[in-house]
Amino acid sequence: MAETTFWFEGQDIRAKEGQSLAAALTEAGHRAFRQTAKDAHRGIFCGMGVCQDCLVTVDGMPNQRACMTLAQEGMEVARQVALPEFGDASDTISGNALHLAPDVLVVGGGAGGLSAAIAAAQAGASVAILDERKVAGGQYYKQAADGSILDNQQADGARLLAEAKESGAEIISGVELWGAFDGLLFLGQHESTPVIAQPKTAIIATGAYERPVTVPGWTLPGVMTTGAAQTLWRSYQTLPGKRIAVCGSGPLNVQVALELAKGGAQIVYIAERAPRAITQPMTALSMALADPKLATQGLGMLAGLRARGVPVRYRSELVHIEQKDDALSATFRKPSGHEDTVTIDALCMNAGFEPQNEILRLLGAKMHYDPAMGHLRCQKSQTMQTSVDGLYAIGDCTGLGGAPAARIEGEIAGRHAASAAGHSKADNLTRAHRTLARHRAFQSKLWQLYDIAPSDTAPLPDTTLICRCEELTLGDVRQGLGDRPSHIGTLKRATRVGMGRCQGRYCGPVAARMIAEATGKPIEDLSFFAPRVPIKPVAISSILAAQEALDDGD
Amino acid sequence: MTAIDALVVGGGVTGTAAALALAERGARVTILDAGTNAGSNTNAGSLHVQMQSRFMRLYPDQVPNVEAALPFYREATEEWVRLDRELGGIDLLQNGGLMLAESDDQLAFLEMKVARETAKGLAVEILDRTALNRVAPWLGPQIVGAELCREEGKLNPLLANAKLGARAAAAGVTRHTARIDTLEQTSSGVTAIAGQEHYQADQVIVAAAWGSGRLAMPFGLAIPSKSEPLHMNITESGAPQISHLVQHAERSITLKQFGSGQIVIGGGWPAHDLGETQPPTIALNSLLGNVALAARIVPGIGKLRIIRTWAGMNTTTDGASVIGRLPSADRVIMALPGDAGYTLGPLVGRIAAEMALDMKPSMDVKLFAPDRFAA
Repeated sequence: MAETTFWFEGQDIRAKEGQSLAAALTEAGHRAFRQTAKDAHRGIFCGMGVCQDCLVTVDGMPNQRACMTLAQEGMEVARQVALPEFGDASDTISGNALHLAPDVLVVGGGAGGLSAAIAAAQAGASVAILDERKVAGGQYYKQAADGSILDNQQADGARLLAEAKESGAEIISGVELWGAFDGLLFLGQHESTPVIAQPKTAIIATGAYERPVTVPGWTLPGVMTTGAAQTLWRSYQTLPGKRIAVCGSGPLNVQVALELAKGGAQIVYIAERAPRAITQPMTALSMALADPKLATQGLGMLAGLRARGVPVRYRSELVHIEQKDDALSATFRKPSGHEDTVTIDALCMNAGFEPQNEILRLLGAKMHYDPAMGHLRCQKSQTMQTSVDGLYAIGDCTGLGGAPAARIEGEIAGRHAASAAGHSKADNLTRAHRTLARHRAFQSKLWQLYDIAPSDTAPLPDTTLICRCEELTLGDVRQGLGDRPSHIGTLKRATRVGMGRCQGRYCGPVAARMIAEATGKPIEDLSFFAPRVPIKPVAISSILAAQEALDDGD
Repeated sequence: MTAIDALVVGGGVTGTAAALALAERGARVTILDAGTNAGSNTNAGSLHVQMQSRFMRLYPDQVPNVEAALPFYREATEEWVRLDRELGGIDLLQNGGLMLAESDDQLAFLEMKVARETAKGLAVEILDRTALNRVAPWLGPQIVGAELCREEGKLNPLLANAKLGARAAAAGVTRHTARIDTLEQTSSGVTAIAGQEHYQADQVIVAAAWGSGRLAMPFGLAIPSKSEPLHMNITESGAPQISHLVQHAERSITLKQFGSGQIVIGGGWPAHDLGETQPPTIALNSLLGNVALAARIVPGIGKLRIIRTWAGMNTTTDGASVIGRLPSADRVIMALPGDAGYTLGPLVGRIAAEMALDMKPSMDVKLFAPDRFAA
C-alpha cells in the first residue's frame, strides 16, 4: 500500500494512502490533538466532523478537523492552540465556484441518499449528491479509504455506491454545506471552491450522530463515540487503541466491539445499559419475526464475542473516566451496585443517536418530539416530502430508523422528487411501502430491547462537563437555570452553553431536557437552540468567495 | 424623599438600570418585560461615541439631533465605566474606535466629521496610514486612513446583562414577564394592563425600546420608535490582536474582538423582521455582504471560521433619546435611548429614575423631552 509522510509537531508520521490525519495520528500513538482555552487536551471524539474537538493546524490553516482531513505528503500539522494567530492576507479560497442546479439535490451520501439518487436518476432526473466525506457510503456502509472490503455490510455499500455512480447521479465528495436558504439555495465548500446549489427539489439525508455517555471524564482524549472507533477501523484499518472498553446501549456497540476484537484489539469490558434481551422474550421474538436475518446477525455477534471470551455486562453503566499516565481508567457500575475499574487505551460510547436535522429545521420543516428516542422527528408525508414544498427528508436525520429503512425511504423520495421535477410518475411503490413498514416494525421492537432514552442528569456531579466547546460543567448549567428557569435561549445567554464550535450539538439536547424538567413544559421544536446559519463553522474567506461567486452570477 | 412604587416597562439594559437606580434609593420596583425580541439580549457590546457614518447616510435629516447629543454619548460611556467598576468587571475596554477610509473622498468626509465632533468636545483625530500601521497593522492595504475616537470601546454584553440583572434583583427589584397592552393614568397613580393582569404603581418608566411608541400613542404623542433587526456574526477565537472598535466611513460595519478572542462582526445589515412575537431571521445578502466586507478590511481574519449568526434588535427614533415625563400624563416617564441604545441605556435609565424621584437629573436632558412628538 502506498504511504505518505507528514509532520506533526516536528515528528514525521507515516500515513496510509487515503488515511485521515486523525487515523494516522492515532496509529502513531498520538491522542491529544487540541489544547482548550482551559488547557485541557482533546482528541478524536465523533469521528465524523460534528464535535469540532479533533482540531489541528494544517499548513498554517488553524482549526482543521483531523477526522475529516486527508493526510497528504509533506503536510505540516500542529496541535491546535486555543488562540491561533491571524494569518496574512487570506489566500485559502480561490478558483471558480461550483454552480449546481439539478432536478434533485441529495444532501448526504449514505444508505438513504445513495438510494434516493439512484431512484431519481433512473426516473430521468438530473441528480447531484453532496457528501461530506472523502468517500461516500455514510456511517452504516462506511467504505474503506483504500477500497478494500471487510465484510458483507461494506460489500453491500460498495455495490450501492457503484450503482449510484452508474445511475448518472453526480457524486461530489468532500463538500461541507454551511448554508440553506428558502427557495432552496444551498451554500457550501468543496476543498477550496465555493459550492452554490439551486436545485428544483432537495432530499435531505444527513443521518444522525451519536449520543454520548455524559459522565466525568468523557472529554478525555481516547474517549470517543463507538462510530468514531468504527470509522478508524473500517475506513482506515486503524485500531483506536490496544485495550478497549465499550459502553452505552444498542446493537452498534456489540457490532463494533466484535469488529475491533477481530482486528486484534483486546475488548476489556462491554457495558450495556439495558437488560439481556431474553428478559423480554415477546419483544425479542416479534423483532426476530420482523427481520429474521438481522436478528440472527445480532445473535451471531454476541456469540462471536463470547467465543473470544468477551462478556457483555448488562444493566451496567459507565460512572467516570480518569487519565492514568498514558492510559485511561474507566469505572463501571454493575446492577449489584458494585463497581469495576478497568485500565484501557480507548473507551467507545454510544447511547443512542441525535438526528442531523439542522438543514431541515433551518428551512422550517415541522418537527415533533419523540420521547422514546429522546429526539425530534421530522414530519413527512407518504412521499417523504416535509412540510416545506420541494424539500424531502429520509433516514435517520428525520428520526432514527436505521439504514435498511433509509434505503427504502430514499427510493420513495427519489421517485417522488424526480416526479415533482417533471419526470416520470412515482407509481409502483406499493412494494417499497410494504418493505418500509416491515423495517419500521423491526426497528420499533429492536429499540424496545435497548435503553436509549436520554439518561437523567440528576445523579451526575456538578463537575461533569456538559458543553465540550465552552467547557461548561453541569454545575454551571444548574446555576444558570436559577430559580426561574425559562427558555434555552435565556440559559444560553446566562451560561454560554451552546455558543461554541459544535453549535450545541452535544449540550443542546441535554440543556433542552433540563429546562423541560425544571419548567414542567413538554419538549418541542422550540425547546432546542434556534437553527441558524452557518450549519457548520465556515471560514470567513469561504463566505467571501461565495459572495464573490454569487455577485458574478447576478 | 419617600419610597415610591414604580413600574418599569422593559427589562433591557435601560429598564434594568432605571429599576436599579430606583431600588437603590429605596423604591419598590417591578420590571414588566414582554420577553420577546429584546435588543439588549442580542446586543454585541459596542460603545459608540462618534457619529456613526451608517446613520448619517441613512438618516441625514436626523444628523443635527445626533450631533447635539454627542456630549451625551460621551457621558454614557462614562456611565458604563462606572458600572464596570461597580459590577465587578464586564470586560469593558475603552481602547478607542477607528472609522476607516478607503479613499481620499472618505478621508475628507472623516476630516469634516472630526471638525464637527471636536467642536462638541470629543477626543477625535485623523490617523494616516503610517500612524494606523502602529496601532492596527492588521488592516487591509487599501485603507488610507481613519478617524480615531479615543472614548469608544467595547464590553461583554452577556456578562453586563447578567451582572446588572443580578444587582437589580439583589436590590429588591422584582421581574414579571408581561406584554403591556396599554398604560392608564388615574388620579392616584398609573395602571399597566397586560391582558387580564393589572399592575398599579405611583409612576411608570417606559423603557420598552421599539415598543415605547405604541404605549405613548394614547397620550397624544407620536414617538417614531421602530424596531430594526440587524445581522450579527461571531467567529471562533483567535489570538488577541484587534483592540479597537472598527467601523467604516461609508459602509455598514462594526468589527471588534472580545476578551475570549472571538471577533464579532455586525454594523447594520438588515435581518428579516417577523414581527413582535417571533425572532427575526437571517438574510443571506446581509450575511454575505457583512462578512465579505470584514474580510476585505481585515484580511487576516479570513482563516477564522464564523460559528454563529443572529439578529440583533436595534431601535431607531428621530436620532435622539426620548427622556422625560409625558406632557399629558406626568406619572409616565419615557426612557428611550434612540440610536445606539445599548451605549446610552444605563445613563438614560438612571436619568429617568432621577426624574421619577423628583431629583434634579444629573445631566440636562431638556433636548430629549418627549413633548417634541406632541401631535
